[in-house]
Amino acid sequence: MSREEPIPRFGHKPQVAFFDFACCEGCQLSVLQLEERLLEILGHVDVVTWREAMTEQSTEYDIAFCEGSVTTEEDVERIKRIREQADVLVTLGSCASGGCHNELKNQWSMDEVRRVVYGDAADTISTIPSRPVTAVVDADYRVFGCPVSLPEFMTVVNAMLTGQSHQPPNQPVCVECKLNDYVCVYEMGKVCLGPVTRCGCNAICTAYGDPCQGCRGLMDAANIPAMLKALKREQAHAIMCAVVQRHELSDDEIAAKLRIYNNWPEFDLKEAQPDDD
Amino acid sequence: MGRELVMTREGAQSFFGRLIEEGPVMGPRERISQPGFVMFDWLDSAGQLRLKYTTTTIPPKKAFFPPRQPLFEFESSQPPTITAVQEATAFTLVGVHPCDLAALEMLDDAYAQEPAEACWPAARARARVIGVDCLPDEYCFCFGFGTCYGREGADLFLTPIGRGYLVEVLTEAGGGMLRLSDVEDATDADREQAAAFRRAKSERMTASIDASPAEFADILEEDDFGELWREVASRCYSCGSCNTTCPTCFCFDIKDEFDLGLTGGRRIRSWDSCQLQEFALVAGGHNFRRIRWQRVRHRWHRKFLYLYRDFGRPYCTGCGRCSRACTADINIVDVSNEIIGRARGRA
Repeated sequence: MSREEPIPRFGHKPQVAFFDFACCEGCQLSVLQLEERLLEILGHVDVVTWREAMTEQSTEYDIAFCEGSVTTEEDVERIKRIREQADVLVTLGSCASGGCHNELKNQWSMDEVRRVVYGDAADTISTIPSRPVTAVVDADYRVFGCPVSLPEFMTVVNAMLTGQSHQPPNQPVCVECKLNDYVCVYEMGKVCLGPVTRCGCNAICTAYGDPCQGCRGLMDAANIPAMLKALKREQAHAIMCAVVQRHELSDDEIAAKLRIYNNWPEFDLKEAQPDDD
Repeated sequence: MGRELVMTREGAQSFFGRLIEEGPVMGPRERISQPGFVMFDWLDSAGQLRLKYTTTTIPPKKAFFPPRQPLFEFESSQPPTITAVQEATAFTLVGVHPCDLAALEMLDDAYAQEPAEACWPAARARARVIGVDCLPDEYCFCFGFGTCYGREGADLFLTPIGRGYLVEVLTEAGGGMLRLSDVEDATDADREQAAAFRRAKSERMTASIDASPAEFADILEEDDFGELWREVASRCYSCGSCNTTCPTCFCFDIKDEFDLGLTGGRRIRSWDSCQLQEFALVAGGHNFRRIRWQRVRHRWHRKFLYLYRDFGRPYCTGCGRCSRACTADINIVDVSNEIIGRARGRA
């Protein structure tokens, strides 16, 4: 499908740039994997900068897609410049949108982190506690996931092209999992973070029988105390009893699972209270 | 009860094979990627059909109302067009347990309330239904709900016996289907085996709600279980799985999906859940069940009080899917009995 007239929000075919901060660049790669759908998007925008996909670069752009975390003072300045140039800033993936693996380093002092990673060269490298792009500048749109959830990416691109806002979904992965009629991985004896994790991924992990790792971050009002109770019950019904006995997770182990994608700001199990009771 | 016949195991195999050749058939089949777990899905061959199964994650209502259902497509051309998405193909739904048959009838009643919903009865009219009897697991509690031996809406009903199935012919359409099958008259021995199967079903049922639906509704109407609702809510994720697996839940949400560039799209409705925080969020930002325990209480009141008063029976069939699906281990029987116990303790 092609659109003849200019897109209302921009008044012209907008120019798009992709930028990466500290990350694995898997989100860019995922977007490239859209293939035919990507061609459809290219009918509506001109890509002017995309290091992973093309040689040309431009400092002029209307829309910036930014992936990765901000981990140096130089990053802070760079993302601010991008924000200034771009009319629309879209954060791509959990590193940029809410927090991801990079924030795990924040549990240690920056000196210790530098020493462990760079050894003798530690003094030549500067670093700051890792944070998502959204902790430094405002984003107009956020796409979550590790890597980025493509169904949500398409929804956001659509909203962006038509000048609409987009609210990230605020339901747990369980909803999409059930609507797809997948088997609950708890029934297979696995521990899944789906009940507390923001959906929008169309339950892609449980589709293949893998537990949700929580890559899209906690939904609002995620009931973490309920998860502690559920995973540590001494007496439970058959299905949960099997899970609890098999895994025997301590508070620390449960916190460690949750921290992987939720360590910005630093994740504290004791303070993780749902906000609606 | 209608005519009783016998279909042998081999006879059933060839009957379902012919049925599938004749038109689409949905029934319980083993999941390809997750062996051992059964789901309702379209069958390609009789060999895929698993008539002996305990339960499924989501109920067979999906045959008539898919979890995500397009209602119409639209194009913003001049003039704009709207094209209804209408399925017209007749199909057969097989392997439905008595509790789920009861649930389908409950949904018939719910969707017939004014303003009547049009898609559900249209889908129901396209389908023939073949029920099958089952044995319970520890989550089933249909015995006290009158749904244990129900045949509502089934055209044929099968009860497992030694040489195959005792077949009850319940409607003309059911009798018509049997032209695809070699059946024999049932003997007294066949009938006795079917009766023994039904006895085993009730004898193996371990879970039950300790009050009649009428008493339970009265207890809930008196509701002063604030503390208990808060305790249950403290364990509840509000994940909605109790609703999305429920055979009698009928709430849905409607959204428009646009194609890129806003030149067209489709209107989709999908199953919704009153346990989700945004379910009762309305324009202006007010949420009349924002707090978790209010939503937990609402579920019990809805199932066992409001709909009991409206339709004369609780909107629960005792299938136990919600308890199986609850990873927070909130069991509908345990919570209900706790409520009943507290109410009686106070009396």
